[in-house]
Amino acid sequence: MDVNIRSIDDITVVAIEGALDAATAPIAQQQLLPLATAGCRILLDLTGVPYMSSAGLRMLLSTYRQLSGKDGRIVLVGVAEEIQDTMSVTGFINFFTLRATPEEGIAALKG
Amino acid sequence: MEPLTVPGMLPALEEIGRYVMAAAAEAGLDKRASYRLRLAVDEIATNIVVYGYQPSGTEGDIIVSSTIDDHVLKIALEDTGPEFDPRQHAMPDEDELTRPLEDRQMGGLGVYLAFEGVDDFHYERVDGRNRNIFVVNRPSAAPAT
Repeated sequence: MDVNIRSIDDITVVAIEGALDAATAPIAQQQLLPLATAGCRILLDLTGVPYMSSAGLRMLLSTYRQLSGKDGRIVLVGVAEEIQDTMSVTGFINFFTLRATPEEGIAALKG
Repeated sequence: MEPLTVPGMLPALEEIGRYVMAAAAEAGLDKRASYRLRLAVDEIATNIVVYGYQPSGTEGDIIVSSTIDDHVLKIALEDTGPEFDPRQHAMPDEDELTRPLEDRQMGGLGVYLAFEGVDDFHYERVDGRNRNIFVVNRPSAAPAT
């Protein structure tokens, strides 16, 4: 699992490559959380993530909690259908903005 | 498929996942059923490490095995950690699953996903070992392998 971080204008793009399980999600979380600052705009690109367990949900939850009340925003793109299923049965999906592609995600963050 | 023995540690989850996906392919499961089975096995294997081997300070293996008959694929996880029956684990109810994320406890979510992802689940304690068994129905049209 790799985490690649870059900036596009004022948006921080975090692209994860590889499975997010209990071994890898805490590592991704360590890189993601410091970016969740006041007023931040984060595009979380999960195009390269074929699998995510509840450890990945915990990573999303921690990020969400850190952002709330800070006027920070996060948009998820490229979320595999099966991962959307997991987010759906756990009621996570209603609390996140999902877009199909990075381009659409950037548009959503700029809007 | 031949059983797989891996050390009871988190980095082994990836190899367990590969084994489950290979067994699911052999049983003719579709993409979604295969994924859900992988998720179920991964969540319980995670618990074996995190609630079993790690807190007790013991080291041991996880043995993954599979059997396929005309109707079902069964995956079994065996470990020598302390007795732990996932069915006794508290699970989130409907209220918890619709609650705002700010107020979530997050306890039992993995076990919930595990039970949700398979058609049947068994647990037994035999000869000092935990056996977690996951059962998934095969598509009726799947040819016997």
